Amino acid sequence: MDYRDLAKKLVHRAKKKGAREAEAFLEIGRQSSCRVREGEIEDLTEATSKGVGLRVISNQRLGFAYTSNFDPDTLNQFVDRALQLAQAAAPNRLNGLPSPKDLAHRSEAGELFDPEVASLPSDWKIKASLEIERAGKAVDPRITTFDSVGAGDSVSEVVVATSGGLVDAYSGTYAFLYAVPVASDGTQLQTSYWVDYKRLFKDLDPPEEVGRQAALRALRMLGAKKVRSRRVPVVFDPLIAASFVDSIASAANGDAVFKKSSFLAKLLNQRIGAEHLSIVDDGLLPRGLGTAPFDGEGVPTRKTAIIENGVLRNFLYDSFTARKAKAHTTGNASRSYNALPSIGTNNLYLAPGAKTPESLIREVDQGFYVTAMLGRGADIVTGQYSRGANGLWIEKGELSYPVQEVTVAGDLLQMLQQLDAVGSDLQFRGSTGAPTIRFAELTVAGD
Amino acid sequence: MPKALVKIPLPEAAVSPAPAAVRPPLPAGLIEQLLSAAMSRGGEFAEVYLERAITTAVTLDERRIKSAQTGMIQGVGVRVISGAKVGYAYSDDLDRAALIRAAHTAALIAEGGGAERSFKVSREPTPLFYRVTTPLSEVDVGRKAQLVRRADRAAHAYDSRIKQVTATYVDQTKHIWVANTIGRFAQDTQDLCRLGVQVVAQGKDGERRTGFYGGGGRLSFSYFDTFTPEVVGREAARQAIATLGAAEAKAGTQTVVLAPGWSGILLHEAVGHGLEADFIRKKTSLFAGKLGQPVASEKVTVIDDGTVANSRGSINVDDEGTPGERKVLIERGVLKGYMFDSLSAKLMGERSTGSGRRESFRHMPMPRMTNTYLAPGDDAPEDILRSVKRGLYCAQFGGGQVDISNGNFVFEVSEAYEIENGRLGRPVKGATLIGVGPEALKNVSMVGSDPTPDPGLGTCGKDGQNVPVGVGLPTVRIDNMTVGGTKV
Repeated sequence: MDYRDLAKKLVHRAKKKGAREAEAFLEIGRQSSCRVREGEIEDLTEATSKGVGLRVISNQRLGFAYTSNFDPDTLNQFVDRALQLAQAAAPNRLNGLPSPKDLAHRSEAGELFDPEVASLPSDWKIKASLEIERAGKAVDPRITTFDSVGAGDSVSEVVVATSGGLVDAYSGTYAFLYAVPVASDGTQLQTSYWVDYKRLFKDLDPPEEVGRQAALRALRMLGAKKVRSRRVPVVFDPLIAASFVDSIASAANGDAVFKKSSFLAKLLNQRIGAEHLSIVDDGLLPRGLGTAPFDGEGVPTRKTAIIENGVLRNFLYDSFTARKAKAHTTGNASRSYNALPSIGTNNLYLAPGAKTPESLIREVDQGFYVTAMLGRGADIVTGQYSRGANGLWIEKGELSYPVQEVTVAGDLLQMLQQLDAVGSDLQFRGSTGAPTIRFAELTVAGD
Repeated sequence: MPKALVKIPLPEAAVSPAPAAVRPPLPAGLIEQLLSAAMSRGGEFAEVYLERAITTAVTLDERRIKSAQTGMIQGVGVRVISGAKVGYAYSDDLDRAALIRAAHTAALIAEGGGAERSFKVSREPTPLFYRVTTPLSEVDVGRKAQLVRRADRAAHAYDSRIKQVTATYVDQTKHIWVANTIGRFAQDTQDLCRLGVQVVAQGKDGERRTGFYGGGGRLSFSYFDTFTPEVVGREAARQAIATLGAAEAKAGTQTVVLAPGWSGILLHEAVGHGLEADFIRKKTSLFAGKLGQPVASEKVTVIDDGTVANSRGSINVDDEGTPGERKVLIERGVLKGYMFDSLSAKLMGERSTGSGRRESFRHMPMPRMTNTYLAPGDDAPEDILRSVKRGLYCAQFGGGQVDISNGNFVFEVSEAYEIENGRLGRPVKGATLIGVGPEALKNVSMVGSDPTPDPGLGTCGKDGQNVPVGVGLPTVRIDNMTVGGTKV
């Protein structure tokens, strides 16, 4: 099936049935994955998937329908259904697809599709998973079991067509490896994980490295205990720092800002952190997992500085929110075929600094190095931040003993101001990346 | 006590007779052929799971209906088990060739030879724990839009300090068919609805607080005649207004009292996940090997019950075709049982407890909770509050999460009050409870006589699969709970 043709046909039918504007968004793909246990395959999954979402605007009203069933009768009914649904929505003169100007200047996203990933033999993932498990176990006999160890790959194609005449598509690949080991010392169980996701096979970490890292992270938590409540310097490792960066980006969501439902809403162009603090969303980052030539409504992606050298510079927008807020889309409409576009990030990261992660720790007399967190924790409306945390206690500049069952809490805006050091070790374990970061003082709650 | 404005009406009783079977959208005989193809390499068990789900959603934002949407997904997942190995393939293409290909792919997990055998399946009667008069997918979308409009008006009318209201109504009518080589063929229709309202209130000096409320279940649309959108909108607004001016939570160990209902997520996180049999089999849960041992205070009896009438987490049959069950997990503090899907049951020499659930045909089933609740105790709720000299009363909750290996769990308190000399004091913000499951349950010192189900809000995520669940809890006192906050 030619999916570009199908997308165009659906848009054409919607127009013919009375839609003023219409957009079809298709995703087609195949996925395969495997898990292993004790040197044997635990499960193998192979799949094909497809789906289309149709957005229509009729009399300024928005209707949306999706289906995974591509037989012609179903598709016809589905177009009609989207139009009927529009009648249940309220008219809004801001409803509409991106303007021709927003869709102009197509972006060049570089390598997204790796023929090597697309043609991996089906047993690569079994071999890789077995290697991960072996390497993890070899680290220490106290690695007693794994919650899961696995690998997989995915190939997908995205097609968008609009009544304005845009028809565009791209294909992408990714492969992944992960391990979730459990360490036991007879009295306590501790788990951790390590993962790598990459678009290109050659960028993927070696399987042994994934197994080893995961095992080391679980092992060092054995014997973890609570500490007494106090305010101390807190260091986030890159994994935890990345989830903090995600929280900041959700506060820069243009819709939350427009509704004043973000603690960042009134701070545009103001200094909210030190010179060394820069947070960037880059839809065109070479080989990034979140890289794509266009976003969920066909708008070219780009690089947007959210915070630049400590100053809040930009919020993130899709086209609807941009019209509402009298701003411009930043190419941040994120979606899958079964949902309307909403504002999200592409490749989001906190720019690295010059210091090594070791020196960030060495400068701390008493503090907490956080390596795992529990709970959502960040409220972007109020700016409250409070999460369960595990990690290692820092004593006189050295990682000393493991800590669990405590929370780390603060206020997001104050945390940005308190972020007093940024490491040089930027890494991506998905589409959000960060280096090690340090906060001058946060509340650690325990006994 | 800041009573929620709501008394949750009892859902309509489960009634027989069973509705007529819904025919699978596949040609006659194809399911049996798929089973044959799946077993062609000599697997020991194969299963075909077919699903068709229709979802409708209406969202209101900034005082108008932003969008109305609907979608349909359908597909087949074929699973083949050979020893401890599982092969799985799925397809959203219901074309015969595509499905046979999927079955052959799943079959590859078995390495033996074996010829195609034929299998017969026969439909088994399923219990009926929920019945819906008209499938939710057939209710006019205009009536659904009316719900969110009314909820929005009620929230704004509650107090002029309510500045933002987002209201969402979502429903799904899902048909599942499960057939396997043991000869079982089960069919179920699972309707599910939920109305949710989120508000932002603005107080002095730009202070902002949020409130969230909602509910639903496996219910007819007429449920919203009693559980009205006005009730939902006002309760969301009440929470946000009540917490304006809240003081910062004090960090450290405190006695906490949990309000009844939605606080049952504490159980779900603190012990529920750790009793799912996959974690027990893999020995990744701290509850592995503890059957028959005390793991909680004597006041604690925990039940997982898939048979609660019309509840969000209920299932007539699980996603392997096994009927839903009521299971006692912990009885008077002693660990009594785990939750099994068929694979864990087979590998551990147990029987399935009807706990094999999956998000969709794109996923393999695994042991999951249904409706998890704490059995009521003898203490009057007022006495529980009165018994605490200094502590924290947790009225409303956000979400929670658990690490099943070390047992650490958190859950977020969205509405809390200081307790002073047995009475509620000022509101507190930013509190998070953290503990180790069994330790927290050993510290349960009082259990109320007021069993309360949650209003039908919960979705549980595990290994990337989301399934609807219910929770429930009477008023409970827990001593020595660590409260995370900003003030030392």
